Amino acid sequence: MTVVSAFLVPGSPLPLLNSTAPGWGRLASAVRRAGRSLAASHPDVILVYSTQWFAVLDQLWLTRRRSTGLHVDENWHEFGDMPYDIHADAEAAEACVAGSPTVGVHAKGVDYDGFPIDSGTITACTLLEIGTPQRPLVVGSNNLYHDSATTEKLAAMAVDAIKGQGKRIAVVGVGGLSGSIYREQIDPRNDKIHNPTDDRWNRQILRLIESGDVSELRAALPGFVQESRADMGMKHLHWILGALGGRFQGARVHDYNAVYGAGAAVIEFTL
Amino acid sequence: MSQGEIIASFLAPHPPHLVYGENPPQNEPRSQGGWEPLRWAYERARASLDAMKPDVLLVHSPHWITSVGHHFLGVRQLSGKSVDPIFPNLFRYDFSLDVDVELAEACCEEGRKAGLVTKMMRNPNFRVDYGTITTLHMIRPQWDIPIVGLSANNTPYYLNTKEGLGEMEVLGKATREAIRKTGRRAVLLISNTLSHWHFHEEPEIPEDMSREHPQNMAGYQWDMRMIELMRKGRMQEVHKLLPQFIEEGFAEVKSGAFTWAHAAMGYPEIPAELYGYGTVIGTGNAVMEWNLRKAGLSMLDEPALA
Repeated sequence: MTVVSAFLVPGSPLPLLNSTAPGWGRLASAVRRAGRSLAASHPDVILVYSTQWFAVLDQLWLTRRRSTGLHVDENWHEFGDMPYDIHADAEAAEACVAGSPTVGVHAKGVDYDGFPIDSGTITACTLLEIGTPQRPLVVGSNNLYHDSATTEKLAAMAVDAIKGQGKRIAVVGVGGLSGSIYREQIDPRNDKIHNPTDDRWNRQILRLIESGDVSELRAALPGFVQESRADMGMKHLHWILGALGGRFQGARVHDYNAVYGAGAAVIEFTL
Repeated sequence: MSQGEIIASFLAPHPPHLVYGENPPQNEPRSQGGWEPLRWAYERARASLDAMKPDVLLVHSPHWITSVGHHFLGVRQLSGKSVDPIFPNLFRYDFSLDVDVELAEACCEEGRKAGLVTKMMRNPNFRVDYGTITTLHMIRPQWDIPIVGLSANNTPYYLNTKEGLGEMEVLGKATREAIRKTGRRAVLLISNTLSHWHFHEEPEIPEDMSREHPQNMAGYQWDMRMIELMRKGRMQEVHKLLPQFIEEGFAEVKSGAFTWAHAAMGYPEIPAELYGYGTVIGTGNAVMEWNLRKAGLSMLDEPALA
């Protein structure tokens, strides 16, 4: 088996920045728990897609071996800094750059000091304990013009490219569920899903993921995306589906909670 | 305290290509030039700004996107390296800027009093977005005038254009009131492209101008229609057409800077000076100026109308 584990984790930095809020703290603990499962699957490479790494020209892949710095989220700057030290598998990432045209996508590597790594990737790396020398990343951008099918093709191509190097892969999709948020300051202790419709949709999607019924899941996703402002059309889930060849047995939801009204879940897929 | 004044506003788009084409010492990548007509347009705008001697430049940037409220840079001195997330090959810029925190706080407070959610950004490690930096570099490369940086709340995208621009209007009026109360002589910078249809792949040599042209005819025609109205001072028509322009021209003015600035100026029905127009990866960019001082409309001696 080339793909040894797969996870969907929230991209909001709030669970990392302020885990004293009960819901956010539970999410942070759940991501840490998922990180232990990920480590136990002994991957050589972590294939990451964060909805918050935007691209509009080409498909970008992080080809810098080590990215270090201090990130401040553009929304949540009052909660402090996000230091990062992220290791990437440059050879695997270069293989993804080279392989992208085979699925009709022009691609480029990103290897620049000071490149702004997004909040989602940093949060996932910190809480999952990935992007370390032992668990280096291959990170692909979210090109805003790519649809779900293109996203799945890119993930599948990436798995093939990395497999060609004889490496074991853990797949991580970084992003949220429903996207309606509170647009005024709230007390984080009172955070909850923004509205009942979003909550119902989130729970339905989570049930379908837990069941492993991919065809039902695929049938439900357009409605979810349409009615609940789902994060970036759930392309982070499509990334996972593409990487897994469209199949998984089921999943364990480690936690489901609200982040400023938006839906967030920590999901470990059963392969 | 001197009397508050909004001297002028500039439409000052922020493609990082313009900084790249100029090869300033702050920017790491080197180019063979490119986008000269737009850069020459900025040269003329720079000369005009220099003659104004403002106390402060206020810039509203669509690349500082906030979802909970309108945020204001609130740290007296900010510096660092800004790398464009979309064009890291073109823009890796060492910046250092001074913030007029007193005016920023006044804008924040006036916005709050007007019913907006507002917040000061106090984190000294904050990385200023490349839109703000590009606009400021292109209009004033000396970096010797304090600035106020405003985020673009995503209301126009999260809700709809009408509600979003309505909020930007409130923000503009609050900004005007803050400038009046603090007695600043201010210039407003609209960090926006016009039509925003763009190519999806970059040429091998980014500054190869044989590859540069409008991405589509509709976007170009919309740009010319709007610029012509602005040159004639028919601004009421411009504001009326804005939602249609946004929809059909995919115009970046949706993010709110244009409405913010014109609301702050009191929606003057005066002609704009067009310094130049050009495309960057297919998007339409104009450098323009509305000079309230020349029109005798710059002094702020009364509270903004509700």
